[in-house]
Amino acid sequence: MPPLLSVDHHNGVPAYRQIMDQIKLQIATGLLASGAELPSTRALSAELTLNPMTVSKAYGLLEHDGVLERRRGQTLIVSERPAAARQTAKLDPLRRHLTGAAHLARQLDVSPAQAIKLFRELLDS
Amino acid sequence: MPITDTPLIATIAPLVLRNVTQRFGKHTALRDLSLEIPAGRIVGLLGRNGAGKTTLLNIASGMLLPTEGTCTTLGTPSGQLDTPQLTRLGLVQQEGRCLEWMTVRQHLDFNASFYPRWDRDLERRVIEALEVDPKRKIVQLSPGDRQKVGILLGVCHRPSLLLLDEPMSALDPVVRKRLLDFLLELLRDDGCTVVISSHILNDVEKIVDWIVALDAGEIVEDSAFDVLQESYAEWTLTSTNGALPTTFNEPFVINHQGDARQALLRVRTAEPDAAARFAVTHHAEILTRPLNLDEMFPLLTSQRKQKS
Repeated sequence: MPPLLSVDHHNGVPAYRQIMDQIKLQIATGLLASGAELPSTRALSAELTLNPMTVSKAYGLLEHDGVLERRRGQTLIVSERPAAARQTAKLDPLRRHLTGAAHLARQLDVSPAQAIKLFRELLDS
Repeated sequence: MPITDTPLIATIAPLVLRNVTQRFGKHTALRDLSLEIPAGRIVGLLGRNGAGKTTLLNIASGMLLPTEGTCTTLGTPSGQLDTPQLTRLGLVQQEGRCLEWMTVRQHLDFNASFYPRWDRDLERRVIEALEVDPKRKIVQLSPGDRQKVGILLGVCHRPSLLLLDEPMSALDPVVRKRLLDFLLELLRDDGCTVVISSHILNDVEKIVDWIVALDAGEIVEDSAFDVLQESYAEWTLTSTNGALPTTFNEPFVINHQGDARQALLRVRTAEPDAAARFAVTHHAEILTRPLNLDEMFPLLTSQRKQKS
């Protein structure tokens, strides 16, 4: 079952980057387990109707970063990663989402204490 | 350089233009233009009307001989294209001429007889996907249906180089999506090189990996699409000291509107920390947003090439 990825071609974010971020997120949330196989470039680009260059670039960079690795030189699988790397992988997407919220809080002159209280409320709901 | 899992296709570039100038009487349509398109690329050819896109494609296909300079298509001078190259070349023109008296079926069979690699299975699937009635006469077809026939005649022989000039302007969104899917399939299965000129930028940005932009007969952009996506941005500035300048001198600022307290900038820079440094310099908070191709288009196509 190929990973369910969704690329927005119109938001200006390069498609390869969206694929990388989504694969990393699926790994961080456990949807893609360590050792899980990924489909070939050709298969994934056919499945998601993407330019194969896009998938190729995403896979290449994920392999370069150690997020994916090749088993027996052919199949791409999710790497087993040390705890510290897994923790960073969880916090990175969250940090990206919160950057805009922090900016808005500053603009609205909402104090850090107030903002944290709000965030805590949302986490508990 | 990251290793990719697609094999390197070591072939000669299917399209090379060197110092091409094209004049029509007093009008210069292309000026000293050089371009090399390697195999397996999907290139979006963009430009305002009259920028030279159709002229470029007509030179590439050998329909037009350049006034100056050379064009090499599929390894052969474009003026000398013969059967071995023409059977590997696919052309979908903006206003293609067809044999009006034939039915679609007759025209397909007629064209198929010239191409050893005509794929009847692909033909059947494209007819179905584009919703073409093969029994109708060409002369009776609407502009949209004529475009569909043009596409069929351009792709069914599985070309190595496919040139499309506004191939889908009259097609509805459902049919356009199916066409784009077929183009990707040709790329995946055959490593076909595609050059598509289209004003439907929403469609173009779904499939291309490279952008060539023309402005008044000159190439003003010849870059990977994702590099452009990562370079262009809109910056929303909120001043922390109420004193934003009236103009920004940084060369990467393309345009700007706003006042002393807030500003909206369009920028082009590949430096990852440009925004952070800018924020410090101008005492502002910055929110950045990438631009889509519609937003990039006016910025791309109005660049003037710097003459040294």
